Amino acid sequence: MRAIVARRREWSVVRLVPTLTTLVLAVFSVLPLRFPDYAAVAPLITLGGVYYWTMYRPDLLPPAAAFLCGVVVDLLSGVPLGVSALVFLFTRAVVLPQRRYFVDRLFPFVWGGFTVLAAAAIAFLWLLGSFFEGAMLDMRTVTLQWVLTVASFPAVAYLLMRVQRAVLPPP
Amino acid sequence: MRLAVPVKAISQRFALPVLVFASVVMIILGKADALLFERIRIIFADAAAPVLAVVSRPAAAVDQLVDRVQDFFALYSENNQLRQDNARLMQWQQLAQGLSVENARLRELLHLAPDPAISFVSTRVIANSGGSFVRSVLVDAGRSEGLARGQAAMTGSGLVGRVTEVGEHAARVLLLTDLNSRVPVAFDGSRERAVLAGDNSNRPRLVYLPEVSAVKIGDRIVSSGNGGIFPPGLPIGVVAAIEDGIVRVEPYAELSRLDYLRIVNYGLNGVLPQPVAPRAVKPRGSAREAVGREPAP
Repeated sequence: MRAIVARRREWSVVRLVPTLTTLVLAVFSVLPLRFPDYAAVAPLITLGGVYYWTMYRPDLLPPAAAFLCGVVVDLLSGVPLGVSALVFLFTRAVVLPQRRYFVDRLFPFVWGGFTVLAAAAIAFLWLLGSFFEGAMLDMRTVTLQWVLTVASFPAVAYLLMRVQRAVLPPP
Repeated sequence: MRLAVPVKAISQRFALPVLVFASVVMIILGKADALLFERIRIIFADAAAPVLAVVSRPAAAVDQLVDRVQDFFALYSENNQLRQDNARLMQWQQLAQGLSVENARLRELLHLAPDPAISFVSTRVIANSGGSFVRSVLVDAGRSEGLARGQAAMTGSGLVGRVTEVGEHAARVLLLTDLNSRVPVAFDGSRERAVLAGDNSNRPRLVYLPEVSAVKIGDRIVSSGNGGIFPPGLPIGVVAAIEDGIVRVEPYAELSRLDYLRIVNYGLNGVLPQPVAPRAVKPRGSAREAVGREPAP
């Protein structure tokens, strides 16, 4: 009986891989790259990570893990605590029901889905930022951030796919 | 398999709404009581600082490589420029040394107390800030290196911001351009006081100006020393534009390309100021600093 149960669950460390990779993305997202005004348009690569894992292994990135990654991103980047957590939880809530339409499709389709999600997430951040400042934030900055986020997704997805193939057995 | 199946199912169903609620509560609390979250944030930054310091080095190395390649192509013209700058700076150095001697003699005549000692802590920027919400950076020095809340952060060119949160080994510096940044400043020539307020744009504005009409483009802005935390006379920037009665300042420091920062430790340790006779001459900061400053254009 125990042998059968042991074979069905992967090792506990392996189960942490999606959370760990998302946290690594969070750390990399605050790297000080020295382009002019980079901080304002930095791509949301952690969002790409949360989207990928919610799409392909939602069981290994539960709401609590998405929340934790959001809190880490907020703490690292000086953004009000809870903002990124909200965005990642929203990502999970939206992507999970739509999974079955995307999972078996080719990558460009998945990328297209991310484009829409990133637009919604950045629009939400823009609204929240405008609300806190009492003035509309710059549209060009926000658009550029969206473009960079969408452009960064293939690289993020490729890395995570390699990690998934190497470490995680198929569900 | 430890939880009974119904309990696990319920907890899974409610996990998402509960966490969403918790996030909203945190956002609201963060606005209401900033202090508690500051403490949490800096504890976390302390823990993450070693990782960030290591991870940011390759990026810094790549930046240096790019800079070096660019420099290589501009070698000849830059060399000429540097020769001219050097000649000009030598003249300034002579002038400054003469002024320093004269300043010392005059202060002696007036029995003025010496300025408090200024020391610097050199730090490296290890993490950027969060986009449009806040403009701040993390540096890899903290309480154990002598940093304290409110200290000025500078590059070689000018003031960059002030320290807002201090942990044991990391600290957060709020940049001049951030929405919450308010720095008491003065005009270099007239000693008029004002406050430099950031608004998340690249050029912070001057507020609480007694008279906007008296301001000209090109006026030099320095720290006024009000509040006692910043030393007076730190270079900040120049007036770059005056539109609709709003004066915008272009900072000397390049805030988007921060690598190494110096945190100014303006200590009041040492000699307590003696009671002095009414001053006929208002001191313009120390002449020692003038040698390190850029000459006026």
